[in-house]
Amino acid sequence: MSNINGKVYAMNAITPMKPWKTWILRLIFFVLGHIKPLQNDLINLSFIEFARWVIVPRRSFPALGHGQKAEELKYDYLLFFSNFNGTWNQYIDAFSAVLAKGLDLIWRWSEKFPGSVPVTIFKEYIARVQFDTDYYFTAYPYATANDLKAAHIVQANFDDLSAKASGLTPEAFADAYLDFVLASQAHLGETGQAPVVF
Amino acid sequence: MPNQNGTVYGLTILSPIIDDERVTPSHDLQIRRYLASLPTDERSPFALAPGTHLARLVVMDDVIYVGAPACEEHLKSKYLVFETNCDSDLPDYISGLAERVPEHLDAVWSHCVGYPGAKDKSALIAYMQACEIDTTFFFAAVNNKTVPESLRALLTQRAVTDFIVNHQGMAQADPARLQTEFMRFAAELKAKPTPPAGASRHDAETAREIKTGGHNE
Repeated sequence: MSNINGKVYAMNAITPMKPWKTWILRLIFFVLGHIKPLQNDLINLSFIEFARWVIVPRRSFPALGHGQKAEELKYDYLLFFSNFNGTWNQYIDAFSAVLAKGLDLIWRWSEKFPGSVPVTIFKEYIARVQFDTDYYFTAYPYATANDLKAAHIVQANFDDLSAKASGLTPEAFADAYLDFVLASQAHLGETGQAPVVF
Repeated sequence: MPNQNGTVYGLTILSPIIDDERVTPSHDLQIRRYLASLPTDERSPFALAPGTHLARLVVMDDVIYVGAPACEEHLKSKYLVFETNCDSDLPDYISGLAERVPEHLDAVWSHCVGYPGAKDKSALIAYMQACEIDTTFFFAAVNNKTVPESLRALLTQRAVTDFIVNHQGMAQADPARLQTEFMRFAAELKAKPTPPAGASRHDAETAREIKTGGHNE
């Protein structure tokens, strides 16, 4: 069992919601999905590779027959899966400090959610509703979300210069090369080992 | 479609685990034991099959009681949660797994209710579709690149960094030589194979000593 692989942490959380509140949350997610500027804080946090919220209605847990008993639940459940860089404490601290309003808007419909500020009580709640990952794979364990974004910028700049390099005079190439270095130099970060977490 | 963000598909599958008190150890423990033995590097089944950015498998024992005044309730089944961020939709992705790593699919999902086996691909896809739960909101930091594109970009980033470091000042001193060496470098880089998914070490050619480190807590 491990929630960590390289530089990525897998978080799983499940919280109960009264079914009538689920529809409010669905509406909020619909708006969040269609008005991209509302996602800016999430994007600018820049240490989340992938995250998703999944509402499982109380009667929608897969029932496949073969003697499986159907679930009899009063609550719908909100599942949250996140793949982030850094430690659990850093993640929750950043969420609480930067995304407090957004988080409250999403989780306030869950039972007993205390709010994302103050952070100590928020952490207690997350620790209670979190469950551990049994197996975790990432295709690029040594890279963070920022490393990936940077690498794709370098790749695009490199492809541009490669495509035109042979058609330029040496002097024109030197100018193009310096432009390439200027455009890429902020994106040449090291992707080394993951930091040691104690 | 909420499961899709750009070209990345967010697949969430909840497979009920067989509850049979005559079986020892229980099916959920057998899944856990098998998952604990699976490699997570380039030998991982998700590295051998195409198109997985990140994937997790979790045995969910029960829902969580958050305390009064909420009602306490329990699931009648345990569920295997399969959450993956991949380059294709469910039928193509599951087909890829069934073709490349059927033995791992069978070893894990044979403990789940109604699993038809990896041999019958159409039955397998139908089974996974029956277990799929639609994502309500899906966020992806990079949503327009495939796994091979990302692995190659990371390789390029490291190689370009070394090239720039080793050719400082040459644009002014000897532009013709810089141009020749750049074109040779670009050709060599393009000819290199894409690094394997899941590999935690850089290849020996581009490996460098770590210059920084320490606590981050």
